Amino acid sequence: MAGSRNYDFLIKLLLIGDSGVGKSCCLLRFSEDSFTPSFITTIGIDFKIRTIELDGKRVKLQIWDTAGQERFRTITTAYYRGAMGILLVYDVTDERSFNNIRTWFSNVEQHATEGVNKILIGNKCDWEEKRVVSTERGQQLADELGIPFMEVSAKSNINVEKAFFSLATDIKKRIMDTARAEEKAGGQSSVVDPSRDNGNMGGKCC
Amino acid sequence: MSSSKLPRKFTPPSSPTASYYDISDDDENGYSTITNTRTGRALVQQKPPPSDGPSTPPAVATTLLLAWLPESALGDAYDTYVKVDLIDAETPPRQSYLVPPPPATVYAPGTSCVGNYAFAVPVSEIYSLLIRPPNLGWWWGSVVINTRAGDSFPALFFHDSECASTIAQSKKRVRASFDPFGEGGGLFWGGDEVLRWLRRYVRVEKSEVEPSVYLVEPSQEDLLSFGSKPTIVGHVGESSASGGAGMDPLTKMFKEARWGFLEKVSRVTRFTRRTAEDILDSPKVPLQVRRLLKNPDVVNLQDEFDSARLYLARWAMGIAEQSERERQQDHQVVWASRDALELVDSAVGEFEILDLESGSTKLDSDKRKPVSLEEWNRWFDPKTGKLAITANEAKERIFHGGVEPGAARKEVWLWLLDVYPWDSTKDERIALMNSKRDEYVRLKGKWWDDLDRRNNDEYWRDQKNRIEKDVHRTDRGVPIFAGEDIPHPDPDSPFAETGTNVHLEQMKDMLLTYNEYNTDLGYVQGMSDLLAPIYAVLQDDAAAFWAFVGFMERMERNFLRDQTGMRAQLVALDHLVQLMDPKLYAHLESADSTNFFFFFRMLLVWYKREFKWDDVLRLWETMWTNFLSSQFHLFIALAILERHRDVIMDHLKQFDEVLKYINELSTTIELSSTRVRAEALFYKFQRTVEAADRKSGFVAPGEGSSTMRRRRTENACEGDPPNSPGALTPRAVANKGKNIEGRNGEILPNISPELRTLLNRDIIRAKVRLGWVMKIYGCSSNMDEIIVFFLFLLRSITRKAVLVMIVHKATRVTPSHLGLLEALYYATFPFNKCHWYPDTPGSLRVCTPTTHTSTTDDWVAEFSKDIARVR
Repeated sequence: MAGSRNYDFLIKLLLIGDSGVGKSCCLLRFSEDSFTPSFITTIGIDFKIRTIELDGKRVKLQIWDTAGQERFRTITTAYYRGAMGILLVYDVTDERSFNNIRTWFSNVEQHATEGVNKILIGNKCDWEEKRVVSTERGQQLADELGIPFMEVSAKSNINVEKAFFSLATDIKKRIMDTARAEEKAGGQSSVVDPSRDNGNMGGKCC
Repeated sequence: MSSSKLPRKFTPPSSPTASYYDISDDDENGYSTITNTRTGRALVQQKPPPSDGPSTPPAVATTLLLAWLPESALGDAYDTYVKVDLIDAETPPRQSYLVPPPPATVYAPGTSCVGNYAFAVPVSEIYSLLIRPPNLGWWWGSVVINTRAGDSFPALFFHDSECASTIAQSKKRVRASFDPFGEGGGLFWGGDEVLRWLRRYVRVEKSEVEPSVYLVEPSQEDLLSFGSKPTIVGHVGESSASGGAGMDPLTKMFKEARWGFLEKVSRVTRFTRRTAEDILDSPKVPLQVRRLLKNPDVVNLQDEFDSARLYLARWAMGIAEQSERERQQDHQVVWASRDALELVDSAVGEFEILDLESGSTKLDSDKRKPVSLEEWNRWFDPKTGKLAITANEAKERIFHGGVEPGAARKEVWLWLLDVYPWDSTKDERIALMNSKRDEYVRLKGKWWDDLDRRNNDEYWRDQKNRIEKDVHRTDRGVPIFAGEDIPHPDPDSPFAETGTNVHLEQMKDMLLTYNEYNTDLGYVQGMSDLLAPIYAVLQDDAAAFWAFVGFMERMERNFLRDQTGMRAQLVALDHLVQLMDPKLYAHLESADSTNFFFFFRMLLVWYKREFKWDDVLRLWETMWTNFLSSQFHLFIALAILERHRDVIMDHLKQFDEVLKYINELSTTIELSSTRVRAEALFYKFQRTVEAADRKSGFVAPGEGSSTMRRRRTENACEGDPPNSPGALTPRAVANKGKNIEGRNGEILPNISPELRTLLNRDIIRAKVRLGWVMKIYGCSSNMDEIIVFFLFLLRSITRKAVLVMIVHKATRVTPSHLGLLEALYYATFPFNKCHWYPDTPGSLRVCTPTTHTSTTDDWVAEFSKDIARVR
């Protein structure tokens, strides 16, 4: 809220991926450091907030969680536009969710802002005996799509923190670079001013 | 008592020395001195002491006055009082001040002049004090003085929020330690201070028998009659709050419940690595709040909102909800009926608590009692088993009272969900249920026995996985779905290790069977939420399946691929808020929130996530009756919005804030008051529409005047092509500011067709059109254009489309073209088996049923644009 903002940057992230891959669980792990095995399905859209520190700057992450089922894509794609970073999540024990990453990726290409940072996340990496998607295949796909990759486990708290931090760092760097480039070009600085960023992510949801 | 006439009250001062008394006596003569005033209203006044001096407590008591004076009567002395009042020191001030003597009395003044009277009673004349801390019924705490002569003074109320010294004192305490949720509440109020200061001069003992009675200088006899083990009053509030005039158990419980509410919304976690310094250090934030926010349990919540104001507003809402719950117990909340047209300009936000002649929502409590199986059975003709009252009467009764859990629900729900027709006889119902059971077994067998599909059909396997995943995370907290006590039948299932239970397996089978029953819709997330309560109540898979099918008749449109059903409801809600609460609407508009998307979840699964389990059952049976409207759920939405309108308008400035706030209401909403409000809002809405129609001379739909038809088209969201950009944005735009001039020139609200549907008691089903023919004139025989058009159609259709394309005669559709189109089609609907009819030259037909509602004109217009773009 204006007047008392306690952050230097506001970064909006979006979690997408098939239903049941653990998007909400990753978010819960990151935002509240907890895990519930029998979570509920996400209906509609919600977000959580966590403020982190990056290079001495306070970065407020607003992370949007979406319903995974394809049927709701009309709604969820509306939220792509405002996102500065997107986490494409699959389940390493679910081949189909991995195969669908390409579809999700092209969805992002189609609806999200150009230059949006992305990261590929393979969740449930603690569940080795059920694993069907190897780390190599995950890495291969990420390389092919030209985005970073990380395997995580919301349940065992592996790499979740790292994944979000890494994405946030990339975004912050991009924003700073853009601002610097514009400054050099003589234009006015357009460093993200959170107070002016009127939550346009949901503003026009469709 | 208004603040301007707020009387000031006096209690004895802190212990002065004998010399001190001497000084004041000699110097001040006829004047009294006030030595200390610590509590705002509780000023301490000292009478010129008697000659023998105040050396023993009883003697002190005679020299002390407990006085109550109107501020206005203090005259010039007022400033002196305030000054002394605000002295902040533990010991009595060295300096003394002169004030005129208060009128001493030992009798209670007449109660008729409350607010203006003044008195000062010698402390020695006080027998006891009745101390009533603030509680639910009385927001202000009060003290009643009982004299030794047997009189009682009228209750003295402590308006702590207006009293500078009380505020100062509570601030001080906050600095020491502040925890509004500590044991016993620990709430600080003026009465505590009266006790605290009295205690310094005289013995004050709490009665064991009457916890709110404090005896002043009690005799041994008094002590015996008021309890054998009187407790000495400790430093009120300084030690555990139980020592002082603590809160009654009810208030305590209430405050604990409030913390429970907070805990709920904050989803307390161990995670405290957040940065909140700015908020905490902001000078604008009151000290108490800052302290509170440093409580690790609260940090999480505060961080989520970045707003202490909002946090407190939520807290206040929780309190309001609680007290409303109390009031609701005797169903006294009744809406006022206002002139319907007045509503157009005024917000309906503030609702009134009135006894009202025309109160359509006021019912005797019998009608609000749940229907028992016995009562239900009485409604039937014992011979035929036919309903002997009208279906409407039965629905009205259920709408207001609900159904008793257990056997009654098991029976009644089958009627509410259209498994049994309302005019059926008992024999018919038995036969019906038998055939439904057979049919369920048959449907289930269709997928159960189809091994080829179970092993090889990707779409089916995908659906099965999705259903299983969802079933395993639906209402697992409800006993029937909790735990895993049987091994999973399928070793390949992701739940093979976890195991399952028989009810989860039943749920899975029912949903897979529905997937089979309604192949065009299939299973969609959210359906498991809709089935779970039905199954849990009926506990019979076949019956539950058909009841679910009945429920899905009206819910189907929520799950359409193109989201037209959800959109239509969000649009209707948009119009409803616009009509009923323009101020709130304007605010939501400024917050970019008129897409009403924050109600998506509520509408999709009918508040399943918003209310607690038992409340959901109760709410659903209300809505299933269609008694007032088949769209009653939108009035529930309006009622929830109205309940929170002040917080929304004061604190929520952006879409994400609104969304978060509404999402977090989950399980905190009070059902019975929400239902009553929703009902009242419905009547209000109905009156508004009627009044507007009367004045504008509106011809009811069906007779259709031409102007009305035009307006309809203008506003009809159904005219939007599905999946067009902004597919979900309510088309309220057409409405905005376009009110209609009535016959006499007055401005009338525009009652959109969407609003009119809210008066309808028939459920709105997903529209199924069996397809229509599109002719494209002027479209060349260019196959590229046809492909573009085809792609456009694909984007817009659902699995249920009968697509008939008649291509220009001159177009030569070659087999290779056909192959291309077919490939495009299957790329869009990989699992959709459809039939291709390149039957006559130049025409092409793709056959699957459709659910879209667009008009041909819109399609052609949209298509022309696409073509233009390609060119």
